[in-house]
Amino acid sequence: MLRLLRRSVQARAVITTVALSSVLLIALGGFLSYSIGNGLFEARLNQVLAESEVAVLDVQNTFAASSVTDEIALQTLMNSVVPKLEATGVADSRRLALLRTPGQTGVQILQSPISSGLDTQLISQNFRSEVRVSAGRVLYQSIELTHNEDGVIRTSPGIVVGSPVEIPLAGKYELYLVFDLASEQQTLDFVQQTLFIGGLALIFIIGAVAYFVTGWLVRPVKIAAEVSEEIADGALDVRLLEKGEDVIAVLARSFNKMADSLQQQITKLASVSKMQQRFVSDVSHELRTPLTTIKLAGDLIFDARNSLEPNLRRSAELLHGQIERFEVLLNDLLEISRYDAGAVRAELEIHDLNQVVGMAIASIDPLAKKRGSAIEVSLPATDVLAEFDSRRIERLLRNLLANALEHGAGKPIKVAVGVNDHAVAVSVTDHGVGMSEKELERVFDRFWRADPARKRTSAGTGLGLAISLEDTLLHGGSLDVWAKPDRGASFRLTLPKVQGSEIFQSPLELPTADDNQLEQDQVS
Amino acid sequence: MSPKILVIDDDNALREMVGIVLSSAGFDPEYCSDGDQALATFQFVQPDLVLLDVMLPGQDGIAVCREIRTVSGAPIIMLTAKSDTNDVVKGLEAGADDYIVKPFEPSELTARIKARLRPIASSEDTVNIGPLVLDVQGHQVLREGREILLTPLEFNLLLTLAQKPKQVFTREMLLEKVWGYHYKADTRLVNVHVQRLRSKIEDDPDNPKIVTTVRGIGYKAG
Repeated sequence: MLRLLRRSVQARAVITTVALSSVLLIALGGFLSYSIGNGLFEARLNQVLAESEVAVLDVQNTFAASSVTDEIALQTLMNSVVPKLEATGVADSRRLALLRTPGQTGVQILQSPISSGLDTQLISQNFRSEVRVSAGRVLYQSIELTHNEDGVIRTSPGIVVGSPVEIPLAGKYELYLVFDLASEQQTLDFVQQTLFIGGLALIFIIGAVAYFVTGWLVRPVKIAAEVSEEIADGALDVRLLEKGEDVIAVLARSFNKMADSLQQQITKLASVSKMQQRFVSDVSHELRTPLTTIKLAGDLIFDARNSLEPNLRRSAELLHGQIERFEVLLNDLLEISRYDAGAVRAELEIHDLNQVVGMAIASIDPLAKKRGSAIEVSLPATDVLAEFDSRRIERLLRNLLANALEHGAGKPIKVAVGVNDHAVAVSVTDHGVGMSEKELERVFDRFWRADPARKRTSAGTGLGLAISLEDTLLHGGSLDVWAKPDRGASFRLTLPKVQGSEIFQSPLELPTADDNQLEQDQVS
Repeated sequence: MSPKILVIDDDNALREMVGIVLSSAGFDPEYCSDGDQALATFQFVQPDLVLLDVMLPGQDGIAVCREIRTVSGAPIIMLTAKSDTNDVVKGLEAGADDYIVKPFEPSELTARIKARLRPIASSEDTVNIGPLVLDVQGHQVLREGREILLTPLEFNLLLTLAQKPKQVFTREMLLEKVWGYHYKADTRLVNVHVQRLRSKIEDDPDNPKIVTTVRGIGYKAG
């Protein structure tokens, strides 16, 4: 439910509308039923009081006008008056009791007439004492009547009206009339029921209306969201339907305008980038044929260098070295252009990372000897199996090692291999010149070199790390770097064990900023 | 007599340079610069080996390769500027024995040529494998008395496998024994040539009986 509320504007709008209108309807219904109930009661009360005054007057007049002299005649008169009072007024809703006021001297000579089924307990003593001192006025009190209908106890509101009556010979009496308001209650019940049902229906209708109206309002937004999603997924020529002049049509028009300009930009960029990639690829290929000729010629001259005079011999050597460098550069350029064109696919197989690290180290050994750096290796004792393209990963490691040797200032290079449940990792750490933070940020940029003056003392092309990063990303891995000026640099390659799975944590730690490990290594 | 090498390449400088390298390595180079004249030149020169550039004016190298294969099994080495495209596989499928990616070194070129021209060494005169009889001296393969035409490379590949029946050869082993590579090379060479060989010797090349694939390892005969 909460999720639905969070996810659907429409549900939120409908539920809010229904909740608010329910509160208002309950308040309104309460007020209506209260005032209707009040009105009914007042009307009935006025009627009751009027009837009662007439009845009381009637009784008093009857007794006053009579000239009874004995008890029997009085009783007879009373017995004739009482049913008469019962008969008047609304049928079956009026009962009466003629009660003798207590505390009088003299004998009670009359039997108090009480309507059948009337419980005199309903007439409270308080009310009676108020009636006694009412000086002839008619008083009333609201009471609750209970009815026993076939064993079912039912209650209904009632009114008891009382007035003192002076009866000749017999003394002071109080006449009480009890009115049943069951029919008024019934009317009120019916009104309340009608209000309740009407309210429910209204809430339902309001909910339905809110649902349709918000749905109608939300629909264009929903469609716009779907279309945005499609555009984001690459369907650049999807558009919204523009209809009418309202705010939604304006939204659609602006949205389409935005999509148009986005599409134009993207298409333009894509074609420029495609052209550029193609150009790089074509240039690289076109350069290969003349380079082959140059290389063949250079090699022939180089092979015969010993029979040349010193200047020519040195020239032949320089030529030979630079042709090689040119070739490496061309290959790197081509490799980058393949990545840019998205034409690279990894040849994935399960390999032992230890073995690949070993091969990379073996192939870099001549350079290590030249730089005078020892390569210290720490490998896990077991095979470190993972799924990767061994050619690319070996090339990547060779590149990391070459970089470490170039910038390692002749100090030992440390290579470590690690493995955990999800990933394998290799780190290559040197203790050489290192890099500043600013340099670190650019370390994977193309043709960027750590030396500020871009001194071309090293054999690298400046594309090595850019390609390494591409190779890493191709495997869904990560290539992390740590470096500090004059402390050295550490590169860590982490690859998932199984392609497409997630790396939760690299099995190896990179040195941290305040790590003394490197310095200790340097001292030892 | 020094082996005759036909160099088919449209780039004048490269063609001449390759010729110089070949001459100094003791070969006898001949030249052709146009794809459309390649077959005629081939038939006129009758070379021992062909160096063929993939990109040629007129017919491209792949078409030329296919054309030469219809008349001869002479070794063909393709020169290509692209190592990552389908060109390599296409060239091999058209019948090239090997390929060299530009730029290459003189020593690499001569080593590849020498490997292709090296006579096949075998202690036996005939080798039987399945329904086939290999006549090592005569470079002939007979199937129920009828000769099957194989290029020298295909013959060498089949012989290498057949001399040790049941033994599984990895692609790397075959590259070394048949192609003369001593370092890691393109295993597509092996795959393509095994396919070509099967299409000639098997009853049903899609369901081979003589040269079978051992999944994840390599190939074996029988």
